[in-house]
Amino acid sequence: MSTVAVTGTGIVCAIGADVPSFTTALRAGRTGVVGTADGLAAPITWWSFDDAVAGVPEPLRRRAVRAAARAPQPVRAAVAAALQAWTGAGLPGAGIPGDRVGIVVAGHNLTARYTHELYRTWQERPAYLPARFALHVQDTDHVGTLSEVLSATGEGFTVGGASASGNVGIVHAARLVAAGAVDCCVLVGAVTELTPMHHRGFAVLGALAEPGGDPAAACRPFDRDRRGFVPGEAAAALVLEHPAAAARRGAAILATVAGYALGLDANRLADPDAAGQARVIRAALAAAGLAPHEVDYVNAHATGSRLGDETELASLHDVLGAAAGRPWVNATKALTGHCLGSAGVVEAVATVAQLTGGFVHPNPNLDRPIDARIRFAGPGPEPARLRYALSTGFGFGGINTAVVLARTADGG
Amino acid sequence: MTVFEVVKASLVEVVPDVDPASVTAGRTLSDLGCTSIDRAEVVTLAMERLGIVVPISEFRDVNDLDRIVELLRTHM
Repeated sequence: MSTVAVTGTGIVCAIGADVPSFTTALRAGRTGVVGTADGLAAPITWWSFDDAVAGVPEPLRRRAVRAAARAPQPVRAAVAAALQAWTGAGLPGAGIPGDRVGIVVAGHNLTARYTHELYRTWQERPAYLPARFALHVQDTDHVGTLSEVLSATGEGFTVGGASASGNVGIVHAARLVAAGAVDCCVLVGAVTELTPMHHRGFAVLGALAEPGGDPAAACRPFDRDRRGFVPGEAAAALVLEHPAAAARRGAAILATVAGYALGLDANRLADPDAAGQARVIRAALAAAGLAPHEVDYVNAHATGSRLGDETELASLHDVLGAAAGRPWVNATKALTGHCLGSAGVVEAVATVAQLTGGFVHPNPNLDRPIDARIRFAGPGPEPARLRYALSTGFGFGGINTAVVLARTADGG
Repeated sequence: MTVFEVVKASLVEVVPDVDPASVTAGRTLSDLGCTSIDRAEVVTLAMERLGIVVPISEFRDVNDLDRIVELLRTHM
């Protein structure tokens, strides 16, 4: 399979408003999980759009302010993350024709809290419904706004796959580039904002970690005392380019998307299946031309769910066999919370940071691992020279994904 | 705040790159860089700030500042 280059990354989440601060938090194993009125969460709180775009070169900054300053928070965060990736990739002024630039937004049901918060106004004073409601209430508001800011006129759309949406986005953005439909694709994993109704809905399924004790210790992937996931908020972005196009403009390649796979379980439930997961992991490794012993690092889906974490380890043992103890394994969700629609992109940004930075981030709450045969990262960061990383993503309704990211041979 | 000032403040909020000094009586919203959706947003914000309701059908085709101000006044 032809590889696709990652030339830019961006993120706005509970533990960092850009890639450098996020990377520092990763190294430190700092968690963004706090107690909120709706329960445990890792929200984006202190963040300001105006500050986020203040350093963006003109005329991009003005376009961003005009298009997004009054948009709902998920769209503002998406624009900020995309601009980090775009400027990091050296694209402002690079002269790529607009019709060679695509936009893929990963995630769905992105406007639930916007609607929920407007509902009281609507009931009391319907005439004051914001005039942009019909635009902002659609998930594709992200696509339109990003395309306006970046002057992109190539292909663009949203993709959905529940908690696997981010990886589904990577698959489709990489395909657009590999197929030659665009030279450059901006992929944004969008913020999934939950409402109290959603918290209740996940809680009744037994999926959520309930409040109690230290919030920082509540999200415990792969630990014997794990008790469910903690929702997190993040917008994360990747710029994907054809390696030849990136080379032509002299862009630094941070990593490559070396393989991926997506498959369903023929199952509508929240019922993970190790065989279905193993199938996509095996297929992604095969697409990258990798043997099990060549995987250096696994950024696990690992939400902290009792059944989910166990199932994922079973699928890793199935695929990696005797090599299962070799790669480092960590769970970014212990730090960021489970960012749902954007999780796969958040974890790709974290993986690229670790591949390029030569470390694996800690598993701060992994006191009593459920599997002694796996090489879990410990309470502190581990220096590690990583070449090949596997990032998994599994969603309700049996949506299984796996992506292989590789550090480039020149060490970049 | 006069009705004009309320409309002006709403417009400057919706279209951040407009020069507030250029928002004067006699100008049209399209001159000032507003799209039709910006116009609907400006009118809705102004209605909310003034605590009045103007039926959508009445401001659908109104584009100049003076007529917007006049329309809002008739509903106060």
